[in-house]
Order: sequence, then structure tokens, then C-alpha cells
Amino acid sequence: MKEKLSRRQLLSGVAAGTTVTLAGCTGGDSDDDTTSADGTSTDGETTTKTYDENQLEDQLTVALPTDPTAGVWSVYGGVMPYYTNTLEPLIWVTDDMELQPWLASDWESTGEKSWEFTIRDGVKFHNGETLTAEHVVWSFETVLNEWSYAPGWLHIKPENVTALDDRTVEFVTTDVFPTFPGTIAHNMVAIQHPDRSRENKDVIGTGPYQVANRKKGQRVETEAFDDYWNGDVQMQNLDFRVITDPTTRSLALENNEVDVAYAPPSSKIDSLSQNSNTQVTKQTSPGAMYVGLHNYKEPTNDVKLRKALNLATSQKTLVDTILNNVGLPARGPVAKSIYWSGHEKLPEYKRDVEKATSLVEESAYDGQTLQFLVSTETPSGRTIASALQEWYSEIGVDVAINQVEESAFEDTVRNGEGHLVLEGSGSNSGAADYLIYETFHSEGDVNERLYGENGTGVYNPGEEVDTLIEEGFQTGDKELKEEKYEEALRIIMEDEASVVPLTYQQYVVGSYKDVENLDLRPINEMVRWPGAKHLK
Amino acid sequence: MLQFLIRRSATVLLVLFGVSVITFGLMFVTPGDPAETIMRQQMGGRAPSEEAIDQFREEHGLDKPIPVQYVDWAADVVQGDFRQSYFQETKVSKMILNRVVPTTELALAAIAIAVAIAIPAGIISAIHQGQPPDYLSQFGALLGISMPNFWLGYLLIIVFSVQLDIFPIAGVGGLDHLVLPAITLGTGMAAIITRLVRSSMLEVLDEGYIQTAHSKGLKEKIVVYKHALRNALIPVVTIIGLQFGYVLNGAVVVEIVFQRPGLGNLLIQSIFSRDYPVVQGLVLVIGAIFVLTNFAVDIAYRLIDPRISFQGGDQ
Repeated sequence: MKEKLSRRQLLSGVAAGTTVTLAGCTGGDSDDDTTSADGTSTDGETTTKTYDENQLEDQLTVALPTDPTAGVWSVYGGVMPYYTNTLEPLIWVTDDMELQPWLASDWESTGEKSWEFTIRDGVKFHNGETLTAEHVVWSFETVLNEWSYAPGWLHIKPENVTALDDRTVEFVTTDVFPTFPGTIAHNMVAIQHPDRSRENKDVIGTGPYQVANRKKGQRVETEAFDDYWNGDVQMQNLDFRVITDPTTRSLALENNEVDVAYAPPSSKIDSLSQNSNTQVTKQTSPGAMYVGLHNYKEPTNDVKLRKALNLATSQKTLVDTILNNVGLPARGPVAKSIYWSGHEKLPEYKRDVEKATSLVEESAYDGQTLQFLVSTETPSGRTIASALQEWYSEIGVDVAINQVEESAFEDTVRNGEGHLVLEGSGSNSGAADYLIYETFHSEGDVNERLYGENGTGVYNPGEEVDTLIEEGFQTGDKELKEEKYEEALRIIMEDEASVVPLTYQQYVVGSYKDVENLDLRPINEMVRWPGAKHLK
Repeated sequence: MLQFLIRRSATVLLVLFGVSVITFGLMFVTPGDPAETIMRQQMGGRAPSEEAIDQFREEHGLDKPIPVQYVDWAADVVQGDFRQSYFQETKVSKMILNRVVPTTELALAAIAIAVAIAIPAGIISAIHQGQPPDYLSQFGALLGISMPNFWLGYLLIIVFSVQLDIFPIAGVGGLDHLVLPAITLGTGMAAIITRLVRSSMLEVLDEGYIQTAHSKGLKEKIVVYKHALRNALIPVVTIIGLQFGYVLNGAVVVEIVFQRPGLGNLLIQSIFSRDYPVVQGLVLVIGAIFVLTNFAVDIAYRLIDPRISFQGGDQ
């Protein structure tokens, strides 16, 4: 970073001198949307520019809302394997949520429960050693032994990871688990070198950056790794600063104390877009926001009332106004970027106050106040709930908003304490199957407590959906999975109206105008920095 | 003096025991399971399995009855072991020590600013009661009390960091990082102390000995600053002492707005993530700071006004 004045002067010089070459639409289906001061948008288009190396800065300062040194990460030298690009997994995820070979160049299912992964040739660790199958085995064993939840999550035990030869690793899952490759397409199961020392807090990975310095709770500084296997690393130094308050983060960006700021508050998005020095980029994530309706508690156990609530909601108005155009109007509870979300096939409950009111009158609703649970951690949660409260009052349904602190929220929802719940869901790996299982299967995370206690649940519509989810979960056949999940979601939305979908989520990153080529990914933790350009 | 110290030390221990029991109990009746909360955070929102939750509870002794857990924890604390954080893999004592310095810096700077503003403003206000300087001072105090810390913090950032580019926005470092947070926190305190100095001064200025001093022909300055101020400061010292304790743990908003890694920030994060050992250790330390501050205030009374005896204790 430089002083503001000199940056502005240089910026204008650079802008005049930079040759811009349009390379055409190479990423037409990308959900990136960059908006600048003049209102132009690069939605869906990728432009390639040539740069004079003398006019580029070699450092980028990034403000994160999350502290990369917080959490139980001593297995990775005390730095979480997100954002910093120091550690890499075997599989990556493309912008379309497809699995992409990464440290594994190939993989295949060799039996009902067994998988073989071929390890990529020529990958170097930060200590100069070459990646082998043994390193992969050690990395998985370490994670599986370290975290009590890892074996249940990944469906493997430490002893079931074997090096067949120098380049091949076999995984045997504890049960039939076709989503195993997608589940490990996640930075949490990263590959590292056994020489890393927990005591010295080393991080020895294969990523384009290595940790140079850190100050717990404040910052992590990284520097480029010259022997990186996957192309050039343009940006030499990345300085990640922890700024948890969204307004402060945004002000730090405006003041050019940082060059990139994740998740500015929605109230600042317009001003960052209009500011001549800053820009915002929106990226669609595999997440969705919806209102969960308690399917077993009076009076929301009446499907007519649930349909009425759907008909009283305008997703488009919500996105356009309250959410400042961040997010896309939703038709289902699973983001449309996930191929089996059934988005096109789900019913569209267009806002119809008259029809909704008559459905309420036909239903068992008798004027009682419905409890609407909102987590204190949901951004704009209270505002969104207030808009819905207003719409529901128009059709004669009385709703009281009850904000619950996040740790207590999960417990409260699982106890079935609300009629309506503002829920957000998203996948943080290449496998999103758990989204539908945990929310709608009777034995999924949300429903299992009440299902176990009294055979009910919260959002699970019943046996037919359970069976469809199980069949979808257990198949490795993409088309069959799509068919099963789409049918399950159709029942959830059309027959049962179990939830009110609101938005498919997007996240926002603000950056200074002189930062280009930000390679944001659907899963925000998996951002790629090597190609970013920072003009002087 | 010795008797006083022994008696007060016993009180300190008793209060801390009470604080620890109440905190321990409250954490356990708060909904939200630490095992589930922490694993869910680590897994990016996914639900951990029942087996994993049970294992976590067993590893951290959370499967034992609450009184047993308390006794085990207290036994460790008495030996100086505040245990390890569930979420940070660091010793609680180390986490607290790391955070004490930025918070103490902030608290001292804020109090210095508050006192520097409040004492002259309060005195001027009292001396010029019912005149423009008094109205001005009271208006300033009202403004100071009314402004929420987060609002003032953002305002100062916008003016002094974004517009004027004088101070950095966030983080810790040199003195320049301390100025805006200290002003933010000190302003509210200054307002409270100004009003107190004013009313205390007014009361003292009405006392017979002040009139005597005047009738003896002493200079106004000597009467005000030597005779009146010294006595007027007694209640002010109490409030400053209490404010110091409050600032040490109540600076949460300022610490969040200016991204300062302090005790308040840590306490909030730990409560939200149900990090029991950190919450319990921090509450105990903050409790101790409060009690010891009061202790120091009592001693300060004696130094300001020798008529107050240690024998009385409660005066």
C-alpha cells in the first residue's frame, strides 16, 4: 500500500498507459459481477489485460471477517487452511461446483466402498520435497486422528487410507459413500508435509503462498512460493488482516488501509460502488436462505397456512430492496448453482395477497401469534424478518420476531421452539448432498431430535421424501441423483410447502480500484490469489 | 492498616468465590452445547455426529456432574492453571495475559482523557454556576453521555482517518492506534465525571470552612484548588475507580469497532462460542480487577482525606 495521494496520481498514469485487450467471453456462466463507479458491469465476462510489470505492486492487503489463527488448527500449524492459499486439498471445485483435479490428477471408484486417487506428478512442498502418496496418507491420518468429528464426516478411519504405490492412494469408506470425492474437495482436508512442527507452528504445504509472519488475532502475512506447481504466482506478498466489524472493514477499504475487504455491510455496498476509488464484486455461492416452517406444530402444521405464507412473500422485492441486490430470488431451499436443486422445476409462488388471505381463512389458523426465530448472527436477519412480518400481517397472520443468540439458536430450532425460522444453508465442499439430508430427512440434523423423541421432526415431510433422499444420497449416478433430489424438492415445495424460499446467496468483496483479476470462488474460503494484479 | 488489609483480602476471596460459582452455574444453564457449537464452527456449519459430541464431552470432562466439574476446575485454578481454551488450543492464562496489555493501555488512556476534560470542565462549571460556561459544560456532558460509543467511534474514523487521514482505522501498534479508541471511550466517562465534579464542587463550596477561607482573605485560586477541590475529589475518585473496572471489561464496543484484541472482545467471542474455560477464567480475572480497584479506591480515600480511618473500613 502507498500513500493515498501518490496512489491516485499513479493510478491515472497507469490507467492511461495500460493496454487493454478483450479476450472475449471465456467465462459466460460465471456468477462474478463487478460493479464500478460508472455503473459498468463485467457480469459474466472475463477480460484479459496486459500489464507492465514495473507498474505493479507486489503486495496486497486483505481484510478478513474471520481470524485465520482462531480455531483448533494446530494440526495445520495454527493457521486455518482457508483464504491464505498455503495448503491445498486433493480436489478443488470449479465455478460451477464441479469437482476439479488438484493435488490428485485423477480418481475412480474401484468398488462399492473403495476409491483410488492418483497423485499429481511434480508437486513440491514449501520445504522443497516432492509430494508422494505417503504424504497424502500421513495428512489424512493426522486429520482423522486429531479431530473426533473427522471420521464420521469423511466416512473413513485412519487405517483405511493406504499408499498402493508412490503415486496411488486407496481410501476405503466405512459405508457406501458416493459423495466421498466431493466431501474431501474441501480445504479442511489439506495435504501437508510431516516435517511440519506443531511446536514451532510451521505450515508446510504445497500452496502458492507460505506463511511468513503472524500475529494471533491480528494478521497473517504470506509470501509467494517460487516452486509452485500450478503456474506463476504474480502477487508476491499477501497480508491478511483481521477486522471483524463489517463497517470498520469497509472504512479501512475506503481509506486504502486495506486493498480488499470481504463482506462489507449491505448498507455500504452502494457507496463502495459509487466511490471512484473502490469497487465491489458479487459472487454467487452454493448457499440459500429460507424460512423453515415447523411442519408439526400448530398452526404451521396446516399445509394451507404454509402455502399462504409462500404466496405472501416476494423474493424479488426482498432482494431488490432490503438486500441491496445481493442474492438471487429463490424458488427452493437449495442454491440453483447445485445441479440437482430442481430450480426450474419448482413451483413459483408469485405474490398473491388475495389468494393467500383466503387460504389463511380456510386453514386452521385462528389468530394466534406465530414465533419467528432469527439468529443474531444472520446478516440483516432482523430486517428480513421484519419485512416478512409485515407481509404476513397483510394476510392476517400475526408474527412475533424472536432473536436468538447463535449458539442457542441451533438448539432452539432443533427443539422445535419456533413456528418460523430464518435459516441459511450452504455447502463448503464439492459435495452438497448433506444440505438436503440434514434439513429434510427425518434423521437429518434439524429433525432427528424431535423425530427420535416423538416421531415428528421440524421440516421433514415424511417417508416418501426420506426414501428419495436416501436413494439420491446413495447413488453415484449424477442423473439418478438429480432425478431423486428433484422429486424430493418438488414434494417439499409443491405438495408440502415445508419452507418459504427467500434467496440464493451471494457474497460481496470490496476492493480498491487498483486491484484486478480477483479470482473469487463459489466457496468464499477457496479464493485464489496468485493471479491477482495490484496496480501502482 | 494490617487488619484492614486482612479483612479486605478475605472479602476479595469470598467475592471471587461467589463470582466463580455464579459464572459456572450460568454457563451451564445457557442453551447451546460447547461441543456442538465448537465443532460446528470448525466444520463450517455442518453438524457433528453424536459420537463426536460425546467424545468431546468426555475429553473435556463435560460428562461429569456440574458440581464435580466445578470442584475439578477450582482445584486447577487454585494451583494457577486456568486450563486450555476449547477453541484456540492455547492456555487461558496466556490468552488473558496477551489481551491485558492492549486493554489496560486503552483503559488508562481513556481515563487520562476523561480526567483531563472532566476536572477543569467540572470546576469551571461549578464556579460559574448558572452562567454560560456552566451551560456549555453541561451541554457537553449531556452530549458525551448521549453518544453511543460505536457511533462516536465510526464518526471519529470517518473524520480523522478517512477524511483527514491522520490516524489509522484499526488494529494495535503505536500511540496513533490508541488515540481514536481512547477518545471514543474517554468521552462518555468524561461526561459522567464532569457532572460529578460539578455537583461535588458545588456542595463543597457551600461548606462553612470554604466561607471561612474566603473571609480570611485567601485568594480565590487557593480556596478552590487547595481547599475545595481536594474534598470534592473524594466521590470523583470512587467513580474513576469504578470506571476503570468498567472500562477494562466494558470496552467491548470500542475494541470491536477499532479491532483491538482486548479482554472485552475476547469475552464476547468466548461467550458466543461457548468456550467455557476462557469465559470462567476471564470473569474471574475481571472480577478480581473490580474488587482490587475498589480496594485501591479505599486506600486513595485515606490519602486524599486523612480523616477517613482504615479502622472504619466501610467509610
